[in-house]
Amino acid sequence: MKQNWTTLSLLEELSCTFGPSGCEDAVADSIRSHIAMYCDELLPDPMGGVLARIRGTGMMEEGAAVSPRRLMLSCHMDEVGFMIRSITEEGLLKIASMCGSDTRVLAGRRVLVGNAAFQVRGVFGVKPLHLVKSADRGNALDIDELYVDIGAGSRQAAEEVVRVGDFGTFESDFVSFGQDGGYIKGKALDDRLGCAVLCSVMRRIYEMESRPACDLYFAFTCREELGISGARTAAYRIDPDYAIVLEATAAGDISGTPEYRQVAHLGRGGALSLMDRSTIYDRPFTDWILETAMAENIPCQIKQYVSGGNDAAHIHKSRTGVRCAAVSAPARYIHTASNVVAKKDVESIEQLLMAVINRLYNEKK
Amino acid sequence: MRTILKKLLQIPSVSGREARLGKYISEEMRPYFDTVETDALGNVICRKRGEGKKLLFCAHMDEIGFIVTFIEEDGFLRCAPVGGIDLHAAAYSKVVFENGRVGVLIPEEGVKPEDYKGDTFVVDIGTKSREDAERLVSVGDCFSLESQLFSLAEDRICGRPLDDKLGCAILMSAAQEAASFQNDITFVFSVQEEVGLRGARTAASYVEPDFGIAVDVTMTGDVKGAKPMAVSLGKGAAIKLKDKSVICDGLLAKKMESIASEYAIPFQKEILTVGGSDTAALQLAGAGCRAGCVSIPLRYCHSGVEMADYKDVQACRELVRAIAQTKF
Repeated sequence: MKQNWTTLSLLEELSCTFGPSGCEDAVADSIRSHIAMYCDELLPDPMGGVLARIRGTGMMEEGAAVSPRRLMLSCHMDEVGFMIRSITEEGLLKIASMCGSDTRVLAGRRVLVGNAAFQVRGVFGVKPLHLVKSADRGNALDIDELYVDIGAGSRQAAEEVVRVGDFGTFESDFVSFGQDGGYIKGKALDDRLGCAVLCSVMRRIYEMESRPACDLYFAFTCREELGISGARTAAYRIDPDYAIVLEATAAGDISGTPEYRQVAHLGRGGALSLMDRSTIYDRPFTDWILETAMAENIPCQIKQYVSGGNDAAHIHKSRTGVRCAAVSAPARYIHTASNVVAKKDVESIEQLLMAVINRLYNEKK
Repeated sequence: MRTILKKLLQIPSVSGREARLGKYISEEMRPYFDTVETDALGNVICRKRGEGKKLLFCAHMDEIGFIVTFIEEDGFLRCAPVGGIDLHAAAYSKVVFENGRVGVLIPEEGVKPEDYKGDTFVVDIGTKSREDAERLVSVGDCFSLESQLFSLAEDRICGRPLDDKLGCAILMSAAQEAASFQNDITFVFSVQEEVGLRGARTAASYVEPDFGIAVDVTMTGDVKGAKPMAVSLGKGAAIKLKDKSVICDGLLAKKMESIASEYAIPFQKEILTVGGSDTAALQLAGAGCRAGCVSIPLRYCHSGVEMADYKDVQACRELVRAIAQTKF
């Protein structure tokens, strides 16, 4: 049982935890150890997710604009990663699937390879420039040409520490930097940031004296980055009528991107989605969240480009349909070893969720 | 039925923004059904309880369109397609917003037609600055090509969006005879078909029908340069056997054919090699059901000048009515 943590200290711990899609157990264990005391029950999830319930009073006001019976708050535990597909005679590891990472960001990177309990260090091998044919210079590598070097001299030596089917992901420090130390750099902030915020929200609710009006379900899901989505089975089990997906979205407020394609800006708060490639979000619910933010002066923005997709894709179509909204932390350089987010966005998103839940408290009876 | 169709064409309903049309249809359907409900995604679900098997008919309310994603400093709007937009068919067209505001959809100068993408288009609503534009439209507002309907030779009608307001009109017209329906009948007016058959899935999960029948448009093989396809305008209701999203239930398709023969309703068999339909979502929702589709032959689908033969529309209506009146 872990106590004395803050959202940011937990984010650091989770960011540094090994959890590529399909191998989220270490992240799940860490989350369970932080929240077990702040919920009424943990639900089983054969997909490996963590599903927690805080019981409400069931005293929602009839006819209120938003009056959920069961509100699902969802984030995903997995991060972009890869699987070992084969091991060469020389002891080099060939890989499969980077879940939408650009191969240009891999060459020369430090990685960890293994399973939830044990990993070894490695690097993505890359030919030095003077060995690259001039015609190939500047071209991104095909995933089939990439390999991970774990310093093993032979296949046999490699097989002593890794097996085909093992997982891998970036190894990257969690660092505060920038003006007033206001920025964070690390791996897997997509979506450990959502996980850390939801853990904090659970603790804050639990520490309140009264219970929420509706049942709250917190879902920490698996395999979002592969599109396989543990959120689908989680939503089926929870059977919510409303859901908020907490995500990270690519902030394009960087040099060379025209204004209309910038999606979201660091420091302007959580970005509410109206539509992405797989979901059209419930407009009245989204507007209600926006209103809540404005009433409480919490920074918040609208995601200004149709891109990406998240667990809402599966949640909103679950069973007889779920009213969905998504709040995303603007993150620069997502799906690389160095995601960058603004600390005050983490704060704004947590405040926004608390304001939403408080409004549900206040609308009871 | 023409009057119903005209009314439906006047109410904009880009995918995800079907609420206004749903409200109108709910009001119109209330007299004919025991219950009329709207679910979380906005599907309108009209149920007339009865003995025997549970039949679900489904036509989608949504039409393809665009969503505003960004407002430029000089008053132009950036947008993204909602559903399967053919940008060549949409370029240099008048567009209409949900609030009635109009604009024109224009590709950026110098972009060759083969390079058209959602990103290379803007909407010019006549405003000169972001401030002016923000007074009239917001990010998240939807718009579509102007709706229209006119008659051509040989009882052919033309305009947009006939996909799938024709299907909705057929169900609404057939509902007037609900008193004579056999079985337990549900009419669903679904949402978000054009973006991935999303509404029909949750509606069917709720209803749990034994048989699910979509009523939607299909392409034809009788236009210049068409891929070989045994569906033509004017040859009757098309009974779907397969499209890209579904293989229809064989028994149900046979039953639909025999009902059409029994009532002397002209019909043709449809195998569509591109495009999907709510049929797929109905088939796989919940524990699954036997699924089929009554298709309305339509030329130039997803353009501003979709064309149907009114006799086919009538045949589809008669087939829906006959199926609902046949004991399953």
